[in-house]
Amino acid sequence: MAAYVSMGEAHRRITEYLNRFSDAVSYQDGKTLSRLVSVSSDAAVLVSLAEALNTFQDANRLFRQSEKYSQYADILLPMFRALQSYRLRNLVESYLAFEKASNAFLQEFRNWESAWALEALYVIAYEIRILAEKADIELASIGKTPEKLKGAGSFLMKVFGVLAGKGPKRVGALYVTCQLFKVYFKLGTVHLCRSVIRSIETARIFDFEEFPVRDKVTYMYYTGRLEVYNENFPAADHKLSYALTHCNAQKEANIRMILKYLIPVKLSIGILPRQLLLDKFDLNEYSDVVLALKRGDLRLLRHALQEHEDRFLRAGVYLVLEKLELQVYQRLVKKIYIMQKQKDPNKAHQIKLDVIVKALKWLEIDMDLDEVECIMSILIYRNLMKGYFAHKSKVVVLSKQDPFPKLNGKPVNS
Amino acid sequence: MATEQAKPATEEAKVDLFEDDDEFEEFEIDQEWEDKEEGKEVTQQWEDDWDDDDVNDDFSLQLRRELESNTEKK
Repeated sequence: MAAYVSMGEAHRRITEYLNRFSDAVSYQDGKTLSRLVSVSSDAAVLVSLAEALNTFQDANRLFRQSEKYSQYADILLPMFRALQSYRLRNLVESYLAFEKASNAFLQEFRNWESAWALEALYVIAYEIRILAEKADIELASIGKTPEKLKGAGSFLMKVFGVLAGKGPKRVGALYVTCQLFKVYFKLGTVHLCRSVIRSIETARIFDFEEFPVRDKVTYMYYTGRLEVYNENFPAADHKLSYALTHCNAQKEANIRMILKYLIPVKLSIGILPRQLLLDKFDLNEYSDVVLALKRGDLRLLRHALQEHEDRFLRAGVYLVLEKLELQVYQRLVKKIYIMQKQKDPNKAHQIKLDVIVKALKWLEIDMDLDEVECIMSILIYRNLMKGYFAHKSKVVVLSKQDPFPKLNGKPVNS
Repeated sequence: MATEQAKPATEEAKVDLFEDDDEFEEFEIDQEWEDKEEGKEVTQQWEDDWDDDDVNDDFSLQLRRELESNTEKK
């Protein structure tokens, strides 16, 4: 498959790469440097280098030839191995070599005073995660424990440590944080996000708004998801709304992901997405949930949750959606109240439990008086309904003033 | 051949342990975009005052019929 490369040609290509690398460092050309280290890309310069390395087995020799190259041997010898292995699809090999190269690179980066090489460091942070994921797939396929992504996480923490201090490199800390989030979310170790979040959010020396918008959006998406898991809905709303507002409008897949979490959060504070939004981003699993809330249709809510149970569970929003039941009960009782009012305004504020039992039965929900009484007490306790309960006569007596308080963007009382 | 074919299945099962369905797509490192808050369509597609008192939709009409018919039976 690999093109045949003569020895002379191989020598020429490798020397050319070495010159480009050392020039990029001398001229502090971060963009060029970043292209030279993106091992998993199909950049022509890297493909042709890999071919040359297959022919020219002893790259070591080239480094020994001149001081200009040998100073980068710690980075580039393993980088060459990583590249070569990657193109030959030896992914564990490739990861291990790349980790070595990355450590050596980080060592150099630490000594560079300005932040000129940030872009190259970003690429390294990205590459190590991607290579680790591929290596883990290879490991799992031969029955070994996939552990490289965890290793990549440790390396990224080191990078974070180098960037997070004072000084011009700090602007890069959020990019690395986002790569760490991706690692932790994939590994299911999201609690490890906490220490980096603390470091980002408590820093007095650096204003969050000064980070690049690309990283701010990603950061708010992931921390927003964490707030959903913690059931801290006002914070989740703030973060995910930030991500939504600032996300590149062209990145529809990302907008869809933000909405996937923001919608349940908004629903839980009484705000509904328009159907247009659900259609546009193919989120129709929420259509019936929204309709159920509008109607007070408990049966439909339960149906919708059941139908998309898998999807909601995987996203970790199932419990959030299940709690919408109370709002649906509120809506149902409110409808009954309005209908009574149209018939006889004087008696409207008294609702017999019987009537609610009947309405529920019609919705194929079997509940006896005691159970309905219990639900009504919860509605009153959570301030979704104002009034009191006449236990003897089995009647809910509603307050004449604002009997069904709206949530107005606040979560249901707990 | 048989072992070859069995491979992907085990691979999938194992790798499935490490998944995040909703991994955010990377933005290009040098990608920039106009970051404005005003007038974005996606931020305007929400109804916070949806709780209107309309009881004339199909669902409400059926509910009303149901409740009235039941009361008559009593």
